[in-house]
Amino acid sequence: MNIRVSRYLVTVVASLWVVPTIAAEAPLAADGHPDLSGTWDNGSGVDFVEAVFDGDSVCLRGCAAGPQPTQRGDRPTYKPEYMAKVADLEERQVDEDTVLRCFSPGLPRIGPPDKIVQTPNEIIFLYDDYTGNYFRVVPMDGRPHRIDVEPGFLGDAIGWWEDDTLVVESVNFNDDTWLTDDGSFHTTDLKVIERISRDGDTLQWLATAHDPEILAEPWELRPRIAQLTDDEILEAPPCIDRDLDHIVENLHHDNVR
Amino acid sequence: MYYKSLTVAAALFLAAGWASAHHSVAAVFGNEIIELTGVITDMDWINPHTHIYLDVTQEDGSVITWELESSPTAMLRKGGLTKAKIIGDGRPVTARVQPARPETGTPYRAYTKRLTYADGHYYVLSAE
Repeated sequence: MNIRVSRYLVTVVASLWVVPTIAAEAPLAADGHPDLSGTWDNGSGVDFVEAVFDGDSVCLRGCAAGPQPTQRGDRPTYKPEYMAKVADLEERQVDEDTVLRCFSPGLPRIGPPDKIVQTPNEIIFLYDDYTGNYFRVVPMDGRPHRIDVEPGFLGDAIGWWEDDTLVVESVNFNDDTWLTDDGSFHTTDLKVIERISRDGDTLQWLATAHDPEILAEPWELRPRIAQLTDDEILEAPPCIDRDLDHIVENLHHDNVR
Repeated sequence: MYYKSLTVAAALFLAAGWASAHHSVAAVFGNEIIELTGVITDMDWINPHTHIYLDVTQEDGSVITWELESSPTAMLRKGGLTKAKIIGDGRPVTARVQPARPETGTPYRAYTKRLTYADGHYYVLSAE
């Protein structure tokens, strides 16, 4: 084997290594759209927990410099006439926030899906939330919204592709949930647009909440990133609050999602 | 102490804010940290908080069962922890905890900071 042939073989072998890498960065479904299927770890909202292991010992908090949670500020802006209501609800969160009683957090508060199952005609979102397991069915066949059913916590979704981005529009919400944990109420006119894209093993989730009667402007949530994982979602344990009856301060806290 | 307690409270409710937030543990539990030694007899693997039952034998031989609140299941999973691991092998466990505020009327409830087992291994479940 001469040097020229050797170099050729090296190039071929190198190409074989490169090709699968490129394919992994842009997985496509059979219909040519990006394949978003998979289990996506967004930290279950606890992405700032960086467990430190020492033999059989484990430290969940305070032992590593993990990523910092987003600070307060990712909040919708209300029209002036509704600010007093938001402040009042925030003050009375313990009495008014249904999530504290293990109700569904609703959309967009629930965040990005924990698992996506993609087919050409519909895409299924699965959630492993601390309040329970939830699902959303996103038709992709161009059908209109169903508005002849009872409004729900997660609304009625339809989806379409814009280039390589999945766009999901949801309407038909009840008004039992808040957008965040600080009294950010919404009406039944809420519309949420999610834009989901994939880059290799990373999923980006963008969401915008529209509620023009009460919001001064559409609320764009901070981008959320999730990583592909083989740690499958699990059946959610029951959510049973035992603290509300014993609370002696009306404290609340920021929503790190 | 005030600022320290605020820091602890902030850390706890950030830690508990995974999905959509709930109330601060400071609304129920005080700032004092005590140590209890006993046997873990059971655990409720539920959300939004798990609950650990610790039997503590008193000097007169009577047993008081403490209910120790702890992190949600998703957070414990992050550390590879299970109900069986937390219950342990039946030997005494030392628990560093924040007892409930007296005005809550729940004298034997507390929030769990650290569990240390007979063989020396430990689980830090919330920031100390």
